[in-house]
Amino acid sequence: MNWRSEAGRIYAFANRNVLMAGRNVFFVFELVFWPSVGVLSIGLMTRFLALDPEMTAFLLVGTMALSTVQVCQLDVSYAVLFDVWSKSVKHQFLAPVGIRHLALGSWLVGIARGLTVFALQAGLSRWAFGFDFFHAGAPALAAFLLGCFLTSLIVGLLVSALVVLFGTRAEVSAWATVNLVMVFCGIYYPVSILPPSVAVLASLFPLTYVLDAFRAHFGFASAFPHPLLTGFVLSAVYLGLARWALARAVIRCRRTGALLKMSE
Amino acid sequence: MLAVEVRDLSKTFRSGWFPRRLTRALRGVSLAIPRGAIWGLLGPNGAGKTTLLSILATLLLPDAGRVTVLGHDVVREAGAVRSRLNMASGNSNFIWSLRPPEILAFYARLYGLYGRALARKVDDLLALAELEPHRKVPYHELSTGLKQRLALAKSLVNDPELLFLDEPTLGLDPDVSMRMRAQIKALREERGTTILLTTHYMREAEELCDEIAFIKSGQIPARGTADALKRQIGIGDVIALRLDPPSCNRLADLPGVLECTSQDGRMECIVDSADKRLPEILRWLHEQGVVVRDVDVHEPDLEEVFVELAK
Ligand SMILES: Nc1ncnc2c1ncn2[C@@H]1O[C@H](COP(=O)(O)OP(=O)(O)O)[C@@H](O)[C@H]1O
Ligand SMILES: [Mg+2]
Repeated sequence: MNWRSEAGRIYAFANRNVLMAGRNVFFVFELVFWPSVGVLSIGLMTRFLALDPEMTAFLLVGTMALSTVQVCQLDVSYAVLFDVWSKSVKHQFLAPVGIRHLALGSWLVGIARGLTVFALQAGLSRWAFGFDFFHAGAPALAAFLLGCFLTSLIVGLLVSALVVLFGTRAEVSAWATVNLVMVFCGIYYPVSILPPSVAVLASLFPLTYVLDAFRAHFGFASAFPHPLLTGFVLSAVYLGLARWALARAVIRCRRTGALLKMSE
Repeated sequence: MLAVEVRDLSKTFRSGWFPRRLTRALRGVSLAIPRGAIWGLLGPNGAGKTTLLSILATLLLPDAGRVTVLGHDVVREAGAVRSRLNMASGNSNFIWSLRPPEILAFYARLYGLYGRALARKVDDLLALAELEPHRKVPYHELSTGLKQRLALAKSLVNDPELLFLDEPTLGLDPDVSMRMRAQIKALREERGTTILLTTHYMREAEELCDEIAFIKSGQIPARGTADALKRQIGIGDVIALRLDPPSCNRLADLPGVLECTSQDGRMECIVDSADKRLPEILRWLHEQGVVVRDVDVHEPDLEEVFVELAK
């Protein structure tokens, strides 16, 4: 295998996402507007409720995780969505490319965008609410961000699988799945307050553990024995499953002819 | 050496939940295409042309039958053939806001090109498709003809050994489609590319293809060179004549005249080629002292061919 060809295939998807982002007016909203609105409104709410600095940290960490996951996940989903919207899906699957190229290329752009959103939100929360994100230290912050980006990759691949299976009818999942994350991963509350049956569900999401581990640096006792390790192992398992789901979806499309239907 | 070998291929589409509709798009198709050939698949809308091409190009999985492309089984070894073939269709789409060089570079990268070879390939293809003046125009603002040329250019990014063209001249102006046909011919001449194209224009198949297969309702009832097919089916151009005296049976004996009938005071001669035979027939009639009051030439359309084939 020629590694430059491999890298070129990954770069093709990354480059395309960058080109498209540059031509999309909503890009500014995704990257600047919504994240700013999110962090400012939650921050102001903590002021209104007169929360102490720990509680403020708890909510802001949740908000920033949510925004970062969302913006990075969108980029991964775009790898398939752009083609479905333009009805040009077949050319991509006619070429000798694998899911790894599509996923990695778009994920890299997603990470870049996620980092931008994160930096913006971190700056805003420091300036407006005096919250120091870097208090936890660089390794903890890196693990937190990696955890968020892995969740984005998993969600992005699952959204892509749905879009390949159901076409534009499933595109809403690109914006809706994040709400699932919000309910189950303890974005605005600790998962321990969920009813036991729902808490079981929460324990299936890797982001739950990633958030738990990061909040431990802001004075919240960890609810799990090895949160980071559990989070990353779960992420790896789900990543494998999501990749498999997308591969199966593509094969199914090749059998039913949906790949052609989505191209005319 | 065969580029494509298909045996007893069938494909049924299932759509809808209730009622569940079955479309038998291909029913036992067999064919063999030698390397270096231009092969035509000629048939009306819905005949199964796109379905067949898509299976050969690995975009669609067959239900039954064996399909070998460039020596590889198209289902089990799809990965091995993908880098060696490509496809363009008359109704291709690309991402709307991307520009021609960006689209070509994207797909060239997917086929493993990088660096200087990539840049050169994109430039070459832009020149070939005469898209250089439109480098900065987003895809959705290109004219139909330019879109089609871009689709053809995209299908050449990997210098395919085997090229599938699905209705490459669909919706093009006559002069543009003529240029497109010239380009297709040049591909085979200059690069030795094996080409399988579909069309529902009989003239196009005749002009381009070494061999033609008629496809209808998912079956191939006839195949061969254009001339052989016409002879086999007994169909050609129709020359309708109003003569004085009204009937002249000896017309049927002239060279190139396949059939001659007389009705409502009109003679209808089916000839292999009207361009060639009309002057000869008129000269002969003149020599016989027959007055020609009216001449009408009409080229058979595909429906007539299929009516003939169905008999
Ligand atoms: N993806 C699909 N799903 C369901 N039916 C299909 C699909 N693609 C084609 N068909 C049906 O299969 C038949 C053959 O179609 P096609 O191969 O596109 O014909 P052609 O290209 O010769 O016009 C048609 O009846 C068409 O409606
Ligand atoms: Mg078709």
